[in-house]
Amino acid sequence: MAAHETAARVRDALETLKQSSVRDRPLVEVLSLSHQLAETMQLFFGSLDRSVQGEFRYIGDFIHKARDEIAGLRPNDIRNNRIPMAGAELDAIVRDTERATETIMSEAEAVMSLSVADPEAYRAEVEGRMMTIIEACSFQDLTGQRVKKVVAALRHIEERVDKFASALGVNDSDTTESPEERRARELLLNGPAIDGPEVKQSTIDEMFDDAHGDGISQGDIDSLFD
Amino acid sequence: MAVDMTMPILVVDDYKTMVRIIRNLLKQLGFDNVEEAADGREALAKMKTQRFGLVISDWNMEPMTGYELLREVRADEGLKATPFIMVTAESKTENVIAAKRAGVNNYIVKPFNAQTLKLKMSSVLGEF
Repeated sequence: MAAHETAARVRDALETLKQSSVRDRPLVEVLSLSHQLAETMQLFFGSLDRSVQGEFRYIGDFIHKARDEIAGLRPNDIRNNRIPMAGAELDAIVRDTERATETIMSEAEAVMSLSVADPEAYRAEVEGRMMTIIEACSFQDLTGQRVKKVVAALRHIEERVDKFASALGVNDSDTTESPEERRARELLLNGPAIDGPEVKQSTIDEMFDDAHGDGISQGDIDSLFD
Repeated sequence: MAVDMTMPILVVDDYKTMVRIIRNLLKQLGFDNVEEAADGREALAKMKTQRFGLVISDWNMEPMTGYELLREVRADEGLKATPFIMVTAESKTENVIAAKRAGVNNYIVKPFNAQTLKLKMSSVLGEF
């Protein structure tokens, strides 16, 4: 029997009971009503069981899918190989550039302090030190190759995370500003611009020109945004 | 008035290479009396014990930035008159405006050359 039919029958029976004293009703009617009530409850709880089962099945499927996606993300590979490799390459870049800079600076300083009393000796010394500077510049080739490896590792991670987020329908949640982010924002720590200075030195010079006085006019500010 | 070529100049930068570059450029310009500090806090401590004729400071340093150093210097009665040039890779409009409003005397964007440094120093200190 359908749930709504049972419910209608229970409702009718209850109405009948309300209109007369229970004591006046035959026992068989009360038993029938009890039976209908039991049926209704069974249907109700049965539907609840199916609904809960469906929810659990959905959650189970979701967890299974998430586990597959996480496996596809290869987190162990990222943690154990790609990120350490990228970190090591960046360390090497810093080390190589420091070493090259040290060599170039030292040689340049040595040239600046050379005595010119003996032109022949001076020329030989300068040429030797210039060759050392040229050799030191070879770091640029190695640095370029190392940067490419780091970029490849970052792209790999980006692709995996993007695929993972899409598969699970993840949206960015609102985050609170960390103390470091707040400090950077308040103290205007933006770092170098990608394609050279955002404001050219010549524009800055105009702002500090005596003709502009000590203050900044709105015109100065506007010209920076033109 | 002639610029005192023997005046102490404080160079503030957390990159030793940049300090070395500025030191060399200053030497080429005839200024040999150069002191170094690795951040604003160290610079401020040095400024409390020694009078400098010029401060050349980077912006982005820890724990105290060049911008914070500038504000501290301008807020201190004994130090507020010290000429201050910012030499930095921070080239956003908001940075230049903030530095100007905080009282910086000039602003140089990295990378820069000796000619730019000379010009800015001349505009702050006078011709030399």
